[in-house]
Amino acid sequence: MITTLDDVSRLAREKGPKRLAVLAPEDEEFMKAVKECRDKGYIEPVLIGHRGRMKAVADTVEFDLGTVEQIFELDRQAIANLGTSMLFAGNVDMASKGQIPTSFIYRSIIREEAKAGTGRTISVISLWEIPDLKRFIAFTDTGANIYPDLKAKKAVIRNAVFLFHVLGYATPRISVLSGQREIGGVLDSYRDGVLLREAAEAGEFGSCEIVEAVSFSDFSLAPNTRLQTNGNTDISGIPEILLVPTLDTGNILCKLDFFLDVHRRSLVMTSRGPALIPSRSDFCDSIVGEIAMGVVVADRIREGGLTA
Amino acid sequence: MTGTFKEIIDRAHTADSPVRVVTALPDAQDVDILGKAAADNLITPLFVGNGREIEVLVKGTLLASCDFDIVDVKNAPEALATAVATAGRSDAAILTQGGIEHAAFIMAVSDRDAGLLNGKATSYVSVYQLKKKDKLILVTDTYLHNFPTFGEKQSILDNALTLARLLEYDPPKVAALASIEQVNPSIPSTLDAAILSKMSQRKQFGNAIVEGPLDIDCALDRQAAERKGVRSEVTGNADIYLVPDIDVGYLLAELLVFIGKMPCIGVVLGTTKPVILRQPFIAHENRVAEIALAVMISGGEV
Repeated sequence: MITTLDDVSRLAREKGPKRLAVLAPEDEEFMKAVKECRDKGYIEPVLIGHRGRMKAVADTVEFDLGTVEQIFELDRQAIANLGTSMLFAGNVDMASKGQIPTSFIYRSIIREEAKAGTGRTISVISLWEIPDLKRFIAFTDTGANIYPDLKAKKAVIRNAVFLFHVLGYATPRISVLSGQREIGGVLDSYRDGVLLREAAEAGEFGSCEIVEAVSFSDFSLAPNTRLQTNGNTDISGIPEILLVPTLDTGNILCKLDFFLDVHRRSLVMTSRGPALIPSRSDFCDSIVGEIAMGVVVADRIREGGLTA
Repeated sequence: MTGTFKEIIDRAHTADSPVRVVTALPDAQDVDILGKAAADNLITPLFVGNGREIEVLVKGTLLASCDFDIVDVKNAPEALATAVATAGRSDAAILTQGGIEHAAFIMAVSDRDAGLLNGKATSYVSVYQLKKKDKLILVTDTYLHNFPTFGEKQSILDNALTLARLLEYDPPKVAALASIEQVNPSIPSTLDAAILSKMSQRKQFGNAIVEGPLDIDCALDRQAAERKGVRSEVTGNADIYLVPDIDVGYLLAELLVFIGKMPCIGVVLGTTKPVILRQPFIAHENRVAEIALAVMISGGEV
C-alpha cells in the first residue's frame, strides 16, 4: 500500500522512466517540472506543441531539447487528440496537460474511452497527504462534473475506487460528503449518499465501503459530544475517498492546500493510464509531484495488468 | 484591527458590559462558559428552565459567586418561547441556543412575531483565527441557508461586512468564491459572484472590495492568482470568504477546524440581537470569545 509522497517519489525513481506525452508545455513552471522529472529519471517526455514557444520556454529554464522527442503541432485540440490517442494506443504511459484548455483534453479522453468501449467517464481525483495521517485521502470529482447526478456520481466512485485499488488499498472507505446538518431538510447530496451506500452494499463498485458519516465532525466527534480544545482533533477515522456533491465544493475544498499543511496531487484516471491536469496556478514542485504520482500509477497499471 | 480571539475579549470589556445573556435549558458546559464570562464581568446570565436543576448545575461553579437570574418554566417549549421573547423584548442583549434542539430554535428565532428579525435575511458567520499572523477571517454562510438566492446572498454579504467593519477591517476585502475564477454561465456561483463584484465597484455595499468569482487558490494566494491573470487587492488577503451554498459552507467550516486545526467561533447575524448556536465543532475553549464577540456586536450596531 502506498501511503506517503515519499513512497511515491522513491517508487517513481525506481519504476521510471515512463513515457509521458506533454501537451503544449509552453509555461516556465511547467517546463521546469518536465525537465526536473526527466533529470530525476521519472519520465522520458514526448513534447507536443508549438515549436517556437516550446523552444523559448525550454531555453529560459535551460532545458536542452536536443535528445527530447518532439512533435510539432499548432492546433490546441489536435495537440490534445494526438497525446490522448498515443496514451490509448500504448505509445506513452501517461499524458499531461500543459497550456491547453482542460476541456480539450477531456473531449479527447471521452472520445477515446467511447472508441475503446470502456464506459468510463472523466473525473478528477485530488489526493491529499496530511501530516500525521499515514495514508492518502482523496476528494473527487474536483474538476469535471459541475453538478453530477446519481449516475455520474457512480462513475466518479468507480474511478476513485480503481485508483485506490491501484495504490494498494484493498477496501477503500468512501464518504459521500454533504452539508446535511440539523436544520434545512434533506439535501440532494445527502439523499444521493443513501442511494450510493445501497449500491455499494449491493456490490456495484467492487471492494469498497461507503460509510454513514458525511462531514468532518462526523469523522472526528462521537455522537452528542462537542470539541473541547483547538487542534485536538482526531482525524484518524477519515475515509480514503471523499465524494463531493458539486464542482464548487470539490474545487474549493481540495485546493485548500494553498492554505493548510497538506499536499495535493490531482489526476484523471483513464482506463489506459493517468492523465495529469495541473492547474494554471500550480507551481513546479506540485507539478513534479503530480508527475511522480502519475509514474507510479502508470507503472502499477502496466505491470499489474490492471484495467478498469 | 481585531486580530485574535483574545482581542475580541479585550474589546468586549470596553463595550457597555456586562450585558444580559438569555439561555434556555443550559447544560454543565453552558454554565461553565457563562460562568467564566460572568466572572470576567462581560455578562449576566439569565437562565430559563427548571429552576432547581439549574441551581444544582451552578452549585460549586465559578458562576455561584456571580450575579445570575433564573426564570422557572415547566418544559422545553415554554423555555424556548420565554427565552426568545426575552431577547425580542430588549430584556436581554444576547440569545444563546442552550439545550434547545437546533431546528426548533432556528424556527423560533425566525418567527416574525418574535421580534428578532430586522427585515434582512439572517446568516451564520464562522470566524477563524489564523495561526501564522494575528488576523481573523470570516466564512459565511456556513449554517443557515441551503442554497441562498441572489437576494439572500446580498444580505449574507451585508451582515458579514457589518461584522468585519466592527472588527475594524475597513474596507473589508471579500472573496466571492466559486469553483473557477472565470464567469461561466453553466456554473451559477460564478454569475452571482461576478454580479456582487460589480455591485461593489458601484459602491452598492458601501466601503468594501468584493472580488469574484475567485476560486480558492486565487483567494488564498496572490502569486497563484497572478499566474491566472487575476490582479486584485483581495487575492491572498481576503477578510471575508463568501461561499456559494451550504455544501461548500458547512464542509469548509468543519474542514478548517478538523483538518486545519484552526480556532473557530460563530454567530448568527441579521437579527436584532446576536444569537449564538450550540455547534459541536466550536471548541469549548473558544466559547468565551464567542460570547465576547456577541457582546461586541450588541454594543455595536449589527
